[in-house]
Amino acid sequence: MKRSMYAMIHKDFRGVVSNRRLFASLLIVPIVLTVLLPSIFVITGHFTPDDPDLQQMLSLLPESIQESSLEQLIHQMLLNYILPVFFLMIPIMTASIMAASSFVGEKEKRTLETLLYAPLTLKEIFRAKVLACFLVSMLVSLISFAAMLLVLETELFFLTGSGLFPGISWLVILLLVSPAISLIAITLIVRQSAKAKTVEESQQGAVFLIIPIVLLAIGQFTGVLMLSVWVLLGLGVLCALVAGLLLKRAMGNFTYEKLLS
Amino acid sequence: MEAIVFEQLSKTYPGGKEAVKELNLSLEQGEVFGFLGPNGAGKTTTVKLLTGILSPSRGSCRVLGVDPAQHPEQVHSFSGVVTEHAQMYDHLTGMENLEFYAALFGLSRQQGTQRAKQLLEQLDLSDAAGQKLGAYSTGMRQKLSLARALLAQPKILFLDEPTSGMDPESVLRVNRMLRRLAKEEGVTLFLCTHQLRYAQEICTRYGLMEQGRLLACGTLEELQNRVSAGMKVQIRAKKVPPALGLALKADGIWEGNISREEEIPKLVRQLVELGGEIYSVSAQTPSLEEIYFALTGAQEVLL
Ligand SMILES: Nc1ncnc2c1ncn2[C@@H]1O[C@H](COP(=O)(O)OP(=O)(O)OP(=O)(O)O)[C@@H](O)[C@H]1O
Ligand SMILES: [Mg+2]
Repeated sequence: MKRSMYAMIHKDFRGVVSNRRLFASLLIVPIVLTVLLPSIFVITGHFTPDDPDLQQMLSLLPESIQESSLEQLIHQMLLNYILPVFFLMIPIMTASIMAASSFVGEKEKRTLETLLYAPLTLKEIFRAKVLACFLVSMLVSLISFAAMLLVLETELFFLTGSGLFPGISWLVILLLVSPAISLIAITLIVRQSAKAKTVEESQQGAVFLIIPIVLLAIGQFTGVLMLSVWVLLGLGVLCALVAGLLLKRAMGNFTYEKLLS
Repeated sequence: MEAIVFEQLSKTYPGGKEAVKELNLSLEQGEVFGFLGPNGAGKTTTVKLLTGILSPSRGSCRVLGVDPAQHPEQVHSFSGVVTEHAQMYDHLTGMENLEFYAALFGLSRQQGTQRAKQLLEQLDLSDAAGQKLGAYSTGMRQKLSLARALLAQPKILFLDEPTSGMDPESVLRVNRMLRRLAKEEGVTLFLCTHQLRYAQEICTRYGLMEQGRLLACGTLEELQNRVSAGMKVQIRAKKVPPALGLALKADGIWEGNISREEEIPKLVRQLVELGGEIYSVSAQTPSLEEIYFALTGAQEVLL
């Protein structure tokens, strides 16, 4: 990669990470989703395990794991079926916040024109922006994952005396599906925000990206759809291909003029 | 190779405004070209066309042989651009800003820092190097923009009002710097400005725009000849005989029209022979300012 692209990525990445308030606000929702929410689940599950709704939900789980104790079942379900969905939502949320500030913010502060005077093609500028957003969104995902694992395992250890091993699907989610979805989201949002005039306008577009994930989440909760590792893997590869294509194609028909007006 | 070539360059904005109309012009390398004209004449639009930020509606331009509409990034690699809309990052210091843009232009970290320091020094900004750009004054920002444009040692500089907001001392400093760049390093300067006196100090050639058209183009001398054939000579004297055809301008100040400088000694001799007492003689060619007003048809402002 050109040193100039690296410089842009470095600046954008540092701009977010060194801005404590911005970075904290990026982390709040993910931490609520991945630490607070499951903690509530685990604790209520421990003290009131006879809830009928819960029983019904558990009966939907695959036969093989139904043999464990009820509480363990809850934990299995939480860790391996519900939480992974959050890791599809987190990169999209992070990306939408980041991407909006990265093009439109520069446009509003009139630094975009200066950037365009650099010896980089629009495509390279675009790619650098996308990669910076991507790195931040992956960082947020990883921090959330680490925090989740730490808190959840500690709680489980104290409540049941033993931890729980995250399933193989986590690996697929964290290393393939989540990065790929994140890239798709960022590419679309950055493209969209290149056209938008205000930060709000560009964030509105991002809302639609969340919808399929929310549907997926509802599917998971109601047990309609239990993602097996293979389905996940397939989904991940598909998303990665789409992401690659988008990244290659995007900005093809953009001109400086369209970008600045 | 010419530094800049325009061929029938025209730009009509989406709203229908014809900002630049059929511009034909070519600039040699090392020229300091003063691009003048009233507000809304189309100067900034021309700079944007030259840097590829806008694409022409008709015609084309080339910068060192490269068409900016096709390969803007190539043009940018050897040009420095200062425009009022090209701002830098308020949350970074002056130094950090320059280091970032140096990296964008492919300078190594060490080169970037060294070059930034050198430019800050030359522009008298060293004391503000560690300050956040947000705390800079208008003139300081402008100087930093110039430093940014010079980072990668460009072959061509596009400067849109580079000295606006600067104090007179800074303007002189910048002018000296620009002149040196053109003379010693052969940098071509495309300079849009309203500060005609400063322009006259550094430009080697001028183009005068009005309503998107190039009204006139040439060296100061060529423009002077175009405005009024000849020059004026002003004489402070007493006992001037009416026979010489001098007109009384103020108490003891006379003015005459001549066509060439060589006529002055003859005029002075005649005046002395006819009994005139001369205190001073000065030849007056129209200044850039006077030419500007004459060409834009706004002479009445001067009176
Ligand atoms: N983005 C735009 N859309 C539509 N019209 C524009 C746009 N930018 C400039 N114009 C019009 O084009 C004409 C030329 O503008 P330009 O900015 O090139 O003038 P200028 O010579 O730089 O003036 P100034 O001395 O005030 O800087 C003006 O009439 C202006 O209203
Ligand atoms: Mg202008």
